[in-house]
Amino acid sequence: MQALWGERRRIGLWRRLWLALMEAERELGLVVPERALTELRTHLDDADLERAAEHEKRLRHDVMAHIHHLGEQAPAARPFIHLGATSAYVTDNADLLLMREGLELLLGRVAAVLVALSKLARRYRGLPCLAYTHFQPAQLTTVGKRVTLWMQEFLLDAEELLHRLETLQFRGVKGTTGTQASFLELFDGEDEKVRELDARVARKMGFARVFPVTGQTYPRKLDAQVLAALAGVAQSAAKFATDLRLLQHEGEMLEPFEADQVGSSAMAYKRNPMRAERMTSLARFTIELEGNAWHTAAEQWLERTLDDSANRRLVLPEAFLAADAILVLATNVAAGLEVREPVIARRVAEQLPFLATERLLVRGVKAGGDRQRLHEVIRTHSLAVAQAVAEHGAPNDLLDRLARDPAFKALKVAIQADELEPTAYTGRAARQVDEFLEQVLPAVLRRIETAAPTAASAEVTV
Amino acid sequence: MTSALKASALPLSLLRRGKVREVYEVDAHTLLLVASDRVSAFDVVLREPVAHKGAVLTQLSAFWFERLAAVISSHFLSADVDEIVARLPALESFRPMLTGRAMLVQRTTPVPFECVVRGYITGSAWAEYRRSGTLAGEPLAAGLVESARLEPPIFSPATKADVGHDENVTFRHVVDALGHARAEPLKQASLGLYEAGRAYAAPRGIIIADTKFEFGTTPDGRLIVIDEILTPDSSRFWPADHYAPGRGQPSFDKQPLRDYLAGLKQEGKWDGNAPPPPLPAEVVQATSERYLEAYRRLTGKPLATV
Repeated sequence: MQALWGERRRIGLWRRLWLALMEAERELGLVVPERALTELRTHLDDADLERAAEHEKRLRHDVMAHIHHLGEQAPAARPFIHLGATSAYVTDNADLLLMREGLELLLGRVAAVLVALSKLARRYRGLPCLAYTHFQPAQLTTVGKRVTLWMQEFLLDAEELLHRLETLQFRGVKGTTGTQASFLELFDGEDEKVRELDARVARKMGFARVFPVTGQTYPRKLDAQVLAALAGVAQSAAKFATDLRLLQHEGEMLEPFEADQVGSSAMAYKRNPMRAERMTSLARFTIELEGNAWHTAAEQWLERTLDDSANRRLVLPEAFLAADAILVLATNVAAGLEVREPVIARRVAEQLPFLATERLLVRGVKAGGDRQRLHEVIRTHSLAVAQAVAEHGAPNDLLDRLARDPAFKALKVAIQADELEPTAYTGRAARQVDEFLEQVLPAVLRRIETAAPTAASAEVTV
Repeated sequence: MTSALKASALPLSLLRRGKVREVYEVDAHTLLLVASDRVSAFDVVLREPVAHKGAVLTQLSAFWFERLAAVISSHFLSADVDEIVARLPALESFRPMLTGRAMLVQRTTPVPFECVVRGYITGSAWAEYRRSGTLAGEPLAAGLVESARLEPPIFSPATKADVGHDENVTFRHVVDALGHARAEPLKQASLGLYEAGRAYAAPRGIIIADTKFEFGTTPDGRLIVIDEILTPDSSRFWPADHYAPGRGQPSFDKQPLRDYLAGLKQEGKWDGNAPPPPLPAEVVQATSERYLEAYRRLTGKPLATV
């Protein structure tokens, strides 16, 4: 992703765009010597960035600096480079090419997160754990089921990224204010040729869709939509990371920790969830970047103002780089997550007696007890036990207390704590995991593979 | 101590006599199930009853019905002989015979499918998988060995056959017969009960390899679990400490019987068909002890024998 947003890559794309334009212009009848094209083709990737910088210092215009530099390297092409075009032809179209590839890379990364999490979900599909609402112990769920909650968010992101990728449109060959006037002049008013030029260049650059109308630039709304999808990725990762930080505090789940890793320079005993913390940190940054793009789009005047430029040069690469880093972290954490089953089992055991009281109440009533009285007995003991557990770390002896209470003793109704099977209290959790992994996940992974085959195969085999 | 029972005969209207159980009508809403001590092996009902077996089946079912009520309600009303006799004073003189083995249950309209759940691949499922790589008609991962654990467990329903073996059918078949709205809860409840049972039994030394549930519909339209659940008769119990995938597993409860009968077959002293050969007292005794041991391990206490 860093290479993608580097200067060398961008200039390579500019040169390819100039080549595509020149090829298409020649194909449609303009007099461009074959030699101009062959020279240009041999200089796609050897721009001397320092030389271009010298030009720019003098000209104060980056696109013109590179046109001059390319003209030096390919003198036969020099008279025809950028013919009829405006800077936005290379800058905007190159940004779209970069975003397209960036989206593909991110889709591959999301697929990797999903695959790593799916392994976790499958492995722990049935492991009962405490579910929390208000971050207070609630009923039981399973570890695998919780993992599918994280996966589902990334799945929504994948669908959003796919949608952006599939509907991405090329800015094309539109001229200074989008009217194609300069090209109409080049082709002596041949309307059809100008339309064909636009479509042909788009095809050469691999785009099926071209914005039908533009000002000087493509609508900046598109940047905002793409950055919103990236912010979605950041949000999913932040939610995942925050859950991990909470669970690491409880000791139920820990992010990977290397053998020689140092938790704290001062407190040597510490094991901090620093990767999860870094994820939330980068996520906040990515989510906030999105606002720039909406403001930029909102504040463009008429056919174009240049106040978009410097801002976009920062937010587009930074958003992609940050989202990329977040997803690498998420995969790394998901693949190495440590699930502490004994801690989880202990937390479950602490709460299970509370969950069993509902059954006890039913049995008490069946045995002839008064529901309201038994309910009060359960309530009183439950509060006392909860306090003892919280204050003194006492074991949960609620069922013993209830068995000894005269109200239940008289009815000969009791439940032994070790008779309780947590799995009976996890509802459909394990089956929801099965269904999610079998019926929901594969279709999305297949869509990613189709839309971004290189990125997907590179990532998922990691 | 209750003596072993081959068959009950109570002054109630007998609705059905199964391989192991008699079903009596109490009233329009209630049935009395009485589990005998009859035992079968290699599909043949043996002559000698196995002491305590009926009580183990009844009390173990009662245990599970209560423990797994969070998954689904059951037809269970009472397995306490005092309560049963209080309700049906005519049974007072049968009290010793009924103790432990009788269960009062809610009457339902049974669902016409056996809801089998398989958590390990064995028996007819293993045969199907070896033949076609499928289970219950659905493709299964390649490369499984005999007795491999299935994760997740698989719902593999069968039709209820009056005579002979139940016929395995696909879940699709159940959906076609009952409609999705009735078929899906059957599957979910079966898987839920089995998974909770399997998780509970494993650390207690018993692998519940597969099992069969039956369900019924109450007059107000609720689906509840009926018959017996997660007993050695409705399930395959394997001793966890002998578990080794790649071969058939010994049975937790019937292995003494099987070993003896297999020996007879091998020596050509029994052709495997009814009538069954007589069983030595020590084989019957050993089998009885296995049933009691299964009960003790699962419930954490010995069976209350009177």
